[in-house]
Amino acid sequence: MIITAHGLKKTFTTRSRKGTQTVEAVRDIDLSVETGEIFGVLGPNGAGKTTTIRMLSTLITPTGGSATVAGRDLARDPRAIRERIGYVSQAGGVDELNSPRANLMLAARVNGIAKADAAGRVEETLTAFELTEFADRPARTLSGGQKRRVAIALGLVHRPPLLFLDEPTTGLDPQNRANLWDQIRLLRSAGTSVLLSTHYLDEADALCDRLAIVDHGVIVAEGTPAALKREVASDVVTLRLTPADTGRPADAPDLEEVRKLLEAQTYAREARVDGDRLLVYLDDGEHALPHLLRALAERALVIQSIALDRATLDDVFLHKTGRFLRDAA
Amino acid sequence: MLRHTALFLGYELRNTVRNPVWPLFGILQPVLYMLLFAPLLAKTTPGVPQAETLKQFTPGVMVMIALFGSLFVGFGMISEIRGGVLERLAVSPASRPAIVLGRTLRDVIVLVAQALLIAALGLLMGMRPNPPGLALMILLMALTGVFASSLSYGLALALRDENGMSQIMQLFALPLILLTGILLPMSLAPGWMRAVANFNPLYHTVEAGRALFNGDLGNGSIPLAFGLMLVLAVITLRWSVSSMRRLAG
Repeated sequence: MIITAHGLKKTFTTRSRKGTQTVEAVRDIDLSVETGEIFGVLGPNGAGKTTTIRMLSTLITPTGGSATVAGRDLARDPRAIRERIGYVSQAGGVDELNSPRANLMLAARVNGIAKADAAGRVEETLTAFELTEFADRPARTLSGGQKRRVAIALGLVHRPPLLFLDEPTTGLDPQNRANLWDQIRLLRSAGTSVLLSTHYLDEADALCDRLAIVDHGVIVAEGTPAALKREVASDVVTLRLTPADTGRPADAPDLEEVRKLLEAQTYAREARVDGDRLLVYLDDGEHALPHLLRALAERALVIQSIALDRATLDDVFLHKTGRFLRDAA
Repeated sequence: MLRHTALFLGYELRNTVRNPVWPLFGILQPVLYMLLFAPLLAKTTPGVPQAETLKQFTPGVMVMIALFGSLFVGFGMISEIRGGVLERLAVSPASRPAIVLGRTLRDVIVLVAQALLIAALGLLMGMRPNPPGLALMILLMALTGVFASSLSYGLALALRDENGMSQIMQLFALPLILLTGILLPMSLAPGWMRAVANFNPLYHTVEAGRALFNGDLGNGSIPLAFGLMLVLAVITLRWSVSSMRRLAG
């Protein structure tokens, strides 16, 4: 285990003219990250992802709870932790006035790499992140994707066994995101453990070995992406109905009735109303679909549209919190 | 801490040397004061040669550089906070005081270079200050620079907002300049204003500078100015270092 955390809490107190206000950013978080895995913290904005990462990387002191990071106690020995981790914030932390090489040299030296070894190490890091071409240009002249690579290189130049990435691909175009995912996977194969936060469902699904879904400062689900989805259902049918008599789209009371009907079917795990849509979770969509169609036909319900999809992490989030991640922020 | 201070100082100095345009622009205004205001001042005091006027005027210009060159360094730190640079350093094993000390030392070195430039210009224009006096004045300037730049870093770390910071600077700049006797000697001021100026530490710095240039090394304003600036520099330096510790944990 590279990280174990128990009951982590963080309460922020803000004072203003209206009086003292407390915000419970993180309420109770237990996590364990295996050595060598990519662990994701997935959740909407404001769920407490960044606060969790900032606590585990020694930036802010937890209000409660305990944690061991890279073999050292978070409360007692934050200095020793700092020597063993890399941290890449959302802002990146690249000195824009200076070149990637100068940025990396300082980071290497501050992290205790001897002068004689620093230049060689910086060169290797520049090569690994394909930055050699613009190594000596001021960082402000680089593109967003290049700057992001410099930021991650800065967190890795001292080769820490554990890397924290706070929303590493926010603001990147799809091409750069895919490249960055490849680079993070390379880190894993080199033995580095990675804890990253994200609010992208596809990123959590494609990149993470395991993940924790957080909402309102607590973990609502934890596991591998496949296991989490399996827990909800393997398939989901999305329906829009037209009641036979009126010809108008079904409104809420009708849908609630249909929902109860469908949830009572043996092949259905769960059914939910989402606006004018009905979501039915099934284990074996291909075989259950004909039965479902028959049940609707028996009630003389007319289907306006129907789709069968694999369940996603968004369905997991809906199952656990009652709302979609994309609506939750 | 010393090793890290040297690292940060080296990094910042290389930055300045690679891009020396801004410190050069910064020195242009005091140079223009020397070239344009000193002759004007000389005209208002008929019978006194320009070299003598310069001896009165140059120490004021030096204090002005020390103050206004260094008071604005905090703006750079606000953008470093915003860009996450300080946050990244906070997660590294970097020594906290070194982050501030390296930057303050860079500011002082730039300041001393600017002071030497102004002194050379004065010499070219015929000013003949007392040599040990000039050396002591540059030391006093360096101390003033430590005070001004760590005050600026402290403000930057406390406010973290460019707008608030420039408002505060605006508020202090004009009274400080007028109550220091940099432009016009305080002997021209009404009594109440002179009384107020006594509470302005920079007024004593300028007075001490004039005494030093005149070779009046026993003048009481000299130890007073050194004492005041040393105390202020220590207070503001401690403030900026502890603000950095608060930010970085």
